[in-house]
Amino acid sequence: MRVLLIGSGGREHALAKLIRRSTLEPRLFVAMDYRNPGLEREAVEAGGRWFVVHTVSPAEVVKVAEEVSPDLVVVGPEEPQFHGVTDALRERGFIVFGAGSRCAEVEKSKVFARSLMWKYGIYGRLYFKAFTGVEEARRFIEFAGDVVIKPARQSGGKGVKVLKDTQAYLSRDRAEVKKTYVEKLFSEMEKYGDIDYKIIVEQRVEGVEYTSMTITDGDAVLPLPLVQDHPHAYEFDIGPETGGMGSIQGPGWVLPFITKEEFSKTVEVVTQVLKALQSEVRDVYVGAFAGQMMLTGIWGPTVIEFYSRFGDPEISNLVPIVTSDFLEVLDRAARRKLAGAKLSIDEERVTVVKAVAPAGYPDDRKLASGHPIHIDEEGVRELGCEALYASVELLGDGVMYSKGSRVFEIVCSGGSYGEAYERAERAVTYVRSLDGWPLFYRSDIGSRELLEDRIRTAERVRTIYSSRGRRGLLGKVLVWVPGEGISDNPLVGFVR
Amino acid sequence: MGSLLAIYAFDELWNLSNIVRYGLLSLQHRGSQNYIVCTPGERVECFQGESIDEVSRGASKNVALAIIGNGSDDVLVETDSGRAVAVASERQWSEASRVLQAVSSSLANGGDIASSFAKALSGIGDGITPSIAVLTKRGELIVWRSTSSLSPLVLGSYGFDMAIATSESVAVDILGGEVKRFLKPGEGVYIARHLLKHFTVPTSGGYRGLCTFELLYLARHDAVVDGTSVYEFRKLLGKELAKYLESEVDVVVGVPETALPYAIGFAESVEKPFEMAFVATGGRKRSMLYSDPFEKIVAIHLKMNPIRRALEGKRVALIDDSMVTGSTIKTVSQILRFRVGVPEIHLFIASPPLVMQCPFNVMRLDMKSLLAANLSEALAKDYLEVDSLHWLSKEDIDRVASRFGLKLCGRCFGVNFFGCAK
Repeated sequence: MRVLLIGSGGREHALAKLIRRSTLEPRLFVAMDYRNPGLEREAVEAGGRWFVVHTVSPAEVVKVAEEVSPDLVVVGPEEPQFHGVTDALRERGFIVFGAGSRCAEVEKSKVFARSLMWKYGIYGRLYFKAFTGVEEARRFIEFAGDVVIKPARQSGGKGVKVLKDTQAYLSRDRAEVKKTYVEKLFSEMEKYGDIDYKIIVEQRVEGVEYTSMTITDGDAVLPLPLVQDHPHAYEFDIGPETGGMGSIQGPGWVLPFITKEEFSKTVEVVTQVLKALQSEVRDVYVGAFAGQMMLTGIWGPTVIEFYSRFGDPEISNLVPIVTSDFLEVLDRAARRKLAGAKLSIDEERVTVVKAVAPAGYPDDRKLASGHPIHIDEEGVRELGCEALYASVELLGDGVMYSKGSRVFEIVCSGGSYGEAYERAERAVTYVRSLDGWPLFYRSDIGSRELLEDRIRTAERVRTIYSSRGRRGLLGKVLVWVPGEGISDNPLVGFVR
Repeated sequence: MGSLLAIYAFDELWNLSNIVRYGLLSLQHRGSQNYIVCTPGERVECFQGESIDEVSRGASKNVALAIIGNGSDDVLVETDSGRAVAVASERQWSEASRVLQAVSSSLANGGDIASSFAKALSGIGDGITPSIAVLTKRGELIVWRSTSSLSPLVLGSYGFDMAIATSESVAVDILGGEVKRFLKPGEGVYIARHLLKHFTVPTSGGYRGLCTFELLYLARHDAVVDGTSVYEFRKLLGKELAKYLESEVDVVVGVPETALPYAIGFAESVEKPFEMAFVATGGRKRSMLYSDPFEKIVAIHLKMNPIRRALEGKRVALIDDSMVTGSTIKTVSQILRFRVGVPEIHLFIASPPLVMQCPFNVMRLDMKSLLAANLSEALAKDYLEVDSLHWLSKEDIDRVASRFGLKLCGRCFGVNFFGCAK
């Protein structure tokens, strides 16, 4: 079977590894934005070839597809979907796994996704207000309270400002930051001409985050095991937001801090959104769809955002545990024959993924770029782990250089978190920079302490949402302004 | 003894003045007469004074290092001659200049600051190193918890925006943050705009365990110290004390305000009403932290206006967390006897007798003024005018500390450690 994989990073490397294990004897071709040595090797070893193209250019990708004439095309990242690459491939008659541009709107536009949930009354929705102009936003933010400010368009998991505002004595200081930040974000969002709303202000919630990925052919929805990502850059959940510094999974389909009931409620939410989305955009959703969820006191399972693709690094956790034919599932979804398909996993194992990034990531990509990187893959493999090549480019001198994001994802598994953690901690030390530039990773990911902390938080949150549920208050946040009456609007703050 | 507060906001949009102000306010119970705030810039600028408002106004950047001390703590912050680096330590510390020199020359030579800091520390010989915080003019922060671990140091965060390191968890709560880690002995973090490094430096000072007074007296009831809820710890000691009750009492009263959870635990165990007995005037003052005896007695008197009708004619079980010189208890017993008119006072102290000076200078205890070390029990009872006097035993503290998984320094009580001897 000839498979063409579109995309350049760690997620695509994980997909390449999952695809290559198939009994369908895949010949793997890869179209990527830069020479990712990991993807290059997978393609060559699997009897295929690799191409360097602009993966967001429909014309360039179609040209590669016509040359390769694949039986299946797998579109990894979201940006090619937004730019119509998936659509162009389907128009030319290719069998494609990956959301079309109309369906991918659910990830691209946070306003669209939130509005959809409100319009269809879907469980786990949050209050929000979106803005097209900076003046209106600035006026609103003056009186906003406990909120999160986000870019209204998907922008690589960056730009989210969580401003907990439950103390009136610090409210004015936070209001100052909000106002300045809104202006800064507006000017940064100007480069995106493909969206009306520039920023979105949302109700802030707290709890435990997790990702629920699924594969769908538009009718059938096949849930994947839950995974938890770690967005903070630094140890102990401190520091700026990143695209994810590592993730944990297992044992089995849920995480140690999420119940089976919460898992099924989550899948129910994701399935409802898929239905609503398809009838709204009048298109069939074929590909990966994921809910970035949080277990909160307001709702229990609550939607933070959606991905129209596999999570990165979340998909990497599946590499060691999928025991059935992953390519077959992708192919059946792409051919709209997913009904009845099953995915088996090793339910005894847990997986820990750690990303390694150069200093400068995530806030100064320039600083994080251009550093020569070395990996001792032998060492990683001896520990039973796998190294996924992410933001590294092979240049003419035969050396790999950092591209500004996470350079490697190290995937380890074990019979327990303790075992997987120990392996991962040792395996990450095999990645180093050749110019002495500092690399960092999070040693707390997968640790007992962090897991216990998640369990405690989840239990606290569960107590809250269970009792709110008994009193019929799920999702509600009532605000009483004397003289104006009671309203359901948690975005209003102390400063009046 | 000073307390530390270091804040790193990763986004330059933040002005930390007001945030430092409220952070310091929440640490005021740890000593309140001397504040220093340092900020980065062309040079490290430090502002020192006795008013929180004035001093914290200086913290107008996105990075700040603050320390709160008592009147008699002289120099808690040292800077090098070029004011490129400031080193703040919890206690006056003769080796501060070595750390300062090491970090300063590393900064000048473009070296790895965290490594230079660690190397300088590990080269320091005997003696108990205090916890330290370092600020460079470029805005890098280092916070490090003493290997002795006599006092706590916690790491917290606020959203994606801030790292907060401080001596007591309440500062993180008050700033709307979340406590992320109770730093372990010898554990530190280096924080810069694009990097956070986590490291451990063992020094030859050795592990001492947490100062028992941190849990007995110093921390707020709402604090969590190395994972232990201070309130729960105090309440449990109060329950332990209850087994020493031999006489009939009508009410249980705690000496304000540290002893209230002890009294609540005691009352719960003996099934007698806990009464609020005194009302304070002019905000909370920590009488034990004053070194001037006159200021100390003024602070005690201001805390103790009795609610007479609740206590008149009642037999009182009076609970306090500790007894150093006995002057607080003496004052309370005089008020209860002469202003209220109670027939009996049975005194219960939630710690063993203090018999030694603190060898580490964490608590200022003067050997000749320690009541338990100088007066016989009979004499002490007559002086204090109490009908009976009971202390928790060393074994009691040991058991409770073990139950919370704590190892506590007990030198001033005449033992090396309470609790889990690791």
